[in-house]
Amino acid sequence: MNPGLDAPEAARQLREQIAAQFGRSLHIRTLDTGSCTVCEQEIRLLSAPHYDLHRLGFFFTPAPRHADLLLVTGPMVRAFEVAARKAYEAMPGPKIVVATGACALGGVYQADPFVHGQVGAVLPVDVWIPGCPPSPLALLHGLSVAVGRLAEKAPGLTFIADDESPGDGT
Amino acid sequence: MPLWFARGLRRGVVTTRYPARPDGSAAALPTPPAFRPGKLTCELVDRMIAVCPGPALRRLDKTLVFDAGACTACGRCAQVAPYAVTPSAEFELAATDRAALVKTIPILGEQR
Repeated sequence: MNPGLDAPEAARQLREQIAAQFGRSLHIRTLDTGSCTVCEQEIRLLSAPHYDLHRLGFFFTPAPRHADLLLVTGPMVRAFEVAARKAYEAMPGPKIVVATGACALGGVYQADPFVHGQVGAVLPVDVWIPGCPPSPLALLHGLSVAVGRLAEKAPGLTFIADDESPGDGT
Repeated sequence: MPLWFARGLRRGVVTTRYPARPDGSAAALPTPPAFRPGKLTCELVDRMIAVCPGPALRRLDKTLVFDAGACTACGRCAQVAPYAVTPSAEFELAATDRAALVKTIPILGEQR
């Protein structure tokens, strides 16, 4: 990488490099940091024939050392912080961290002496997938966003219903 | 097994890329709410914040700050005001920037 580049240009180049490396095949390690396991059930469904994660070149691996992507669920309980850091450090670079579910995004638990309340407090998160739980379709979309195959839709959404019906609905 | 192999050869490629076609089950998914600014009042928004189980809704004076990342799509705000809140039907919400999931919605309904 050219050291004379400014930061956004360097970041763009790095993103392109990662997309070139991960564009076709990538191994996923899931990490449960205290979730209710419903996110895990949706992740498990990705392997089912209907969603068929493997056709897209994604594979699950039981070892962080073989993983390119860390799929983190749960609100990051403080007791799990050391294990989460170890799993992240054991992964070879370049690596992607995906925070999955409302817990991991800080939507369910507030930071207190037992939980950090969100994954971003411990690991550098690259992609956030909202949902409680995120459906397998949302997970497939999030994984595709993480490897740069699909564009993210979230910045363009307003959550404003523009079908203003006439008359007072109260 | 040879039967399946022959069938596969005859039909060609049977796997597809991810959004090959709209998924039939997508319409049944619970999705975060979409708000009608003209129907929102500060009093109504405060009632929705009171029933929201998480930190997804906040009110800053005359704007509603909706954190789609924190929303669990439970639908309680829509129960409070079905005329002002509808399901957004958006579930592909993955974002590379956490702040991109936080939306501001103006409160335009007249106050009582």
